[in-house]
Formats: sequence, C-alpha cells, structure tokens
Amino acid sequence: MKGDKIIFFQIIIILLLICLFGFLINNLIINLIRTDLGFNFSWLLKPASFALAEHALPYSPSDSYAWALLIGWLNSLKVIFVSLFLSTILGIIIGLSRTGNNVLLKIISSFYITIIRQTPLLLQLMFWYFVGFLGLKNNFINFTNLLKINNQGIEFLGLSLTSEFSALIIGLSVFTSAFIAEVIRGGIISVPKGQWESFRSLGLSERNGLIRVIIPQALPAIIPGLTSQYLNLAKNSTLAIAIGYSDIYAINDTIINQTGRAIECFIILLLTFLILNLLITNLMETINKFINKKNFLY
Amino acid sequence: MHTKKIKKYIKKIREILFFNSLNNFLTILLIFTIFLLSLQSFSWFIFNSKWSVVTTNIPLFAFGTFPESQRWRPITWIISLLLISVLSIIPPKWKWLRKNLLIAWIGMIPLGIFLLYGGLGLQSVMSRNFGGLTLTILLTICSSIFALPIGIGLAFCRQSSLFVVKKLSSIYIDSMRAVPLIAVLFFGQLLIPLFLPLGLEIDRVWRAIFAFTLFVSAYIAEDIRGGLQAIPNTQIESAKSLGLNQLQIIRFILIPQSLQIALPALTNQAIGLFQNTSLMSILGLVELLGIGRSILANPKFIGQYIEVYIWLASVYWIICTILALMAKYLEKRLKIA
Repeated sequence: MKGDKIIFFQIIIILLLICLFGFLINNLIINLIRTDLGFNFSWLLKPASFALAEHALPYSPSDSYAWALLIGWLNSLKVIFVSLFLSTILGIIIGLSRTGNNVLLKIISSFYITIIRQTPLLLQLMFWYFVGFLGLKNNFINFTNLLKINNQGIEFLGLSLTSEFSALIIGLSVFTSAFIAEVIRGGIISVPKGQWESFRSLGLSERNGLIRVIIPQALPAIIPGLTSQYLNLAKNSTLAIAIGYSDIYAINDTIINQTGRAIECFIILLLTFLILNLLITNLMETINKFINKKNFLY
Repeated sequence: MHTKKIKKYIKKIREILFFNSLNNFLTILLIFTIFLLSLQSFSWFIFNSKWSVVTTNIPLFAFGTFPESQRWRPITWIISLLLISVLSIIPPKWKWLRKNLLIAWIGMIPLGIFLLYGGLGLQSVMSRNFGGLTLTILLTICSSIFALPIGIGLAFCRQSSLFVVKKLSSIYIDSMRAVPLIAVLFFGQLLIPLFLPLGLEIDRVWRAIFAFTLFVSAYIAEDIRGGLQAIPNTQIESAKSLGLNQLQIIRFILIPQSLQIALPALTNQAIGLFQNTSLMSILGLVELLGIGRSILANPKFIGQYIEVYIWLASVYWIICTILALMAKYLEKRLKIA
C-alpha cells in the first residue's frame, strides 16, 4: 500500500471505532437515565452499612464505601502475598522432587500435578472450605494454645486466621504450586545435561551442584514463567467470593447489590487490577535485574 | 537363577529409592503416609460414603433441567462433537471429508443451537433449562470456536505495520490479560445489557459465551504471536520468491505453521477454558459445578460435600486428561507429517 492509502485506512479504522463506542456509550447514557442512576462517584463517601468479618485496619459499618473498598484491597493483597510466598516454596519442593532421582517422589509429585492442574480452581477452593475447614470438628488439632485447627480457622501462637482466609490461602497456594512446579521443572530441564556431568566430574556434591551450577543457569528461564504464574495467582484470588472471603471483588459485588452502581464499581475494579499488575510486574522485573546483574549465587 | 533375579530387583529398588540417608528417610516416611492415607480413604469409601447423591442425580449432572423427553437432543450433539473430534485427530481416508473438517467444526455451533433451543419442528427449550455438563460443553465449544479466529486476527494485527492497528490490538490484548476472568464474566452478565439499545436483549448463555470469547481470544492471540515469532524469516522470503502474495503467505505459510507451533499452548487454553466455565456457577448459570452446588443446597443431600466434589473433580479430570492426550497425539502426528 502507498503512504496516503495507509493513513486513509487507519483514519477509517479510528472513525469506525469512535462510531462503535459512541453508539455503546449513547445506549449506556440512555439506560442510566432510564434507571435513574446517573454516573458519579459521590456515593463513595456515604456509609457502607455492611459488616466485614475480616479487616486489617479498623472498620465499622458506619465507615464510608471508599474505606470498605480499601479494606477489601488490603484483604486481597494479604491473600495474594501470603499465597505467593507459600506457593513458591511448595512449587520449588514439588518441582525439585519431580526432577530428582527418587522414583516414589517422582510418581507422587506427578500425581499431584495432574490432579491439581486438571480440576477447576473453584472446585478446589470449595473443597478446602466446605470439606477442609467447615467439615472439621470443634477441636481437630489442639496443642495447648500453640496451634489450634478447627472449623473456626487456624490459631497459631496467638495469630488467628479465619477459616475463609485459611481455605483460600491453602487452595490458591496448592493450585499455583502445581503450575510453579512445572515452571521450575522446565527451567531445570533447559540446563544442558553436560552441566550436570561436569559438576559431578569436578567432585561437587549433588546438592552443591544443584545450588551453585544448575539453579543459577535455570533462573533466567524460570523467572518469566514465575511472573506469569504470580499474575495468574493475583487474578485467581478474586474467586474468594465463592467461599465468602471479603476481597476487593466480593466487596465490589456487595456494593453493586446495595447501590446498583455497576459501571462505577467495574471501573474501580479495573483500576485496582491495573495497579496490582503493575506492582507484581515491577517487583519481578527488579528481581530479574538483580539476577541478571551478577550471578549472585556463585 | 531365581535368587539372582530377586537380587537384581533389590539392587534396582535400592538404586531408585534408597540411595542415600535422606532418601531412605523420605521413602520410608512416604510409604508410611501413603499406607495410612489409603487405609483411611478405603474405610471411608466402604463404610461412610453414600453415593446415592451422585447416582440419583446423574441426569441433572448431565443435562440440568432439560425436559426429560428431549434429552436425546443434547446426547446427539455431544456424540457428533465426539465423532468430529475423533475424525480430526485420526485423519479419515476420504479427502473431501478431511478438507471439510473445518466447515464441519463451524457447523457444530448452528447444529448445537438447533438441537438445544429447538424450533423448526423440534419442541423449543428455554436456555434457563440448560445445565450440567451440556451447558459446560456448550460454553466451551462455542467460545473456543469463536475465540480462535479472533485470536489469530489479533495476533496478526499486533504484528501489523499499521501503527493504529498495532497499538489498538496491543491495548486490547494487554488489558484483557490484566483483568481477572470473573470481572469479564461479570461485565458480560450485568453490564452488557446496559450497553445495548432498549428492547434488544441477549440470552444469558450467549452473554457468557461473548465474555469468554473476549477473554480467551486475548490469550490465544499471545500464543499465536509466539508461534509467529518462531517461524524463521527465510520461510516468508522463499514464499515471496515463489510469487505468493501477502494474503497467500498468511493463509498457507504463517497460519498453519504458527498453529502447529502454538498447539501445546492452545491445548492449555482449551483445558483452562473448560475448567473456567465453572466460574459461571458464581454468576448464576447452573453448569456442572453450579448443579453440584444446587444439589448440595437441597436439604435431602445436606453435608454430602465430599461425594459430590469427588464426583465433579473426576468428571473434570477425565475430560481434561482426554483433551490433553488427544492434543499430544495430534502434536506427534503433525511432527511426522
């Protein structure tokens, strides 16, 4: 195509898109006027008048909607970062046992991975909540105030976690760990076989060789996969609503049910996830740079 | 002779299970735990489990509240889907059939709509009576058939030399991939009606399919783009020197090769989509998981979570595993061809 033609073509595309959006927004305005809702954010300052079982900062039903949303965001962050940590540890253990020499461990870990990966996360979360926690007896485990696990949740050294939070953490970590294990296995496989043979012939022990030779070389292949798994984890944490944990999505849902402000809440939800994504991507990029700068493990 | 064999086995077992102190410990611990766990689950299975919650509700799990006399319709549709997937994996001898497989796949959607909704001589069934595995399959098949061409288009747009096209498609892909699926589905169920002109209404099932298509096409686009980038430039140059024009290069060189490279990733997307249709149970459609939830809410079956969840998990697991195996077989066959 010639230069003029290209510009003409692109202008037409833009015009068509503007027409489409104009049509949709026009419909939206008509519908909002018809339902007498309008579009504004002034309701954010009104009292929320719903209770939240879980809040990191002080909260009461007389606080504003905006405050409730912030609490929900903090709840989401809490879940995401705790399960990010747990799933990484679990994923590394399973990934390493999948690549290791012990056949029994290999069989068990591949069993674990196929079961976890081929069933829906939502089903797993419900399982952990309704069977894993609500199905427990009143005193399932009780070690003299040190560790208590029962249908109310987990209490550990004075730190008490509700059953919703614990079930969500366990479900998300277990689900994500199966994917992280595959990422780790892929990374370790990507290191050429010769590297294993050469560290063995240099007389390094199996564990030393893994830590000092194999893992530093596997990391560049692992980090991008890990990043996308972490992003998936953050997105999957919105399934909390199914087991009644008040994360950002659940609180938005409650607010929509109360006020009917679907469009505004949806915009807030999108912005929240934009921020969350940027947070995680930047974090992982910093880690990536740190690794690439100097092979710190040597 | 015998002792030699046994000695050999023992040596082998020592090599794979007990080769140092840490592994000795681990293996014994694992065997012990597995033994305890299987003993417990076995005794639960024999003495405590009541499978009537599953066996009496099999029709519900399969068809939802689809009218009993009309159940042959979803069955016919699912069987024809199975047939056509077998045909696409094990290629038939007849060339005309092989050439028309694509058309047959696309034809599955109107066939499904006709068989499920009725009309034209069949008794019409409302979409609120769809449910169970039938609805899960309907959502999966329709969304994936719609999302694949859109995803391919988006992938090419993202590589386009036209600035506007490139920017717009990257914005679409990146923003879709940043948002959780449940938000997109929520958009489909609650917000789409707000964007439509007065009087025009779309069925809930089709709003869900629309939302799934929007979401999955962005992911497919990225997978296809990965495939496109893996095709060496010499392919395009040699196609050009053969005198193929741009459209022919895309149609005969780029799309087939990128699809083949992206096949494992696309399989994962299909499996993910199949699993993610379960999210619709939160948003009010009674697909497989939704049926499970509503059965558990029935006072007659109260508290029988484990049986229902194990049943649902095995259905999902079996179908996903079959999908994965079929894709693996197809991959192998394409590599030889």
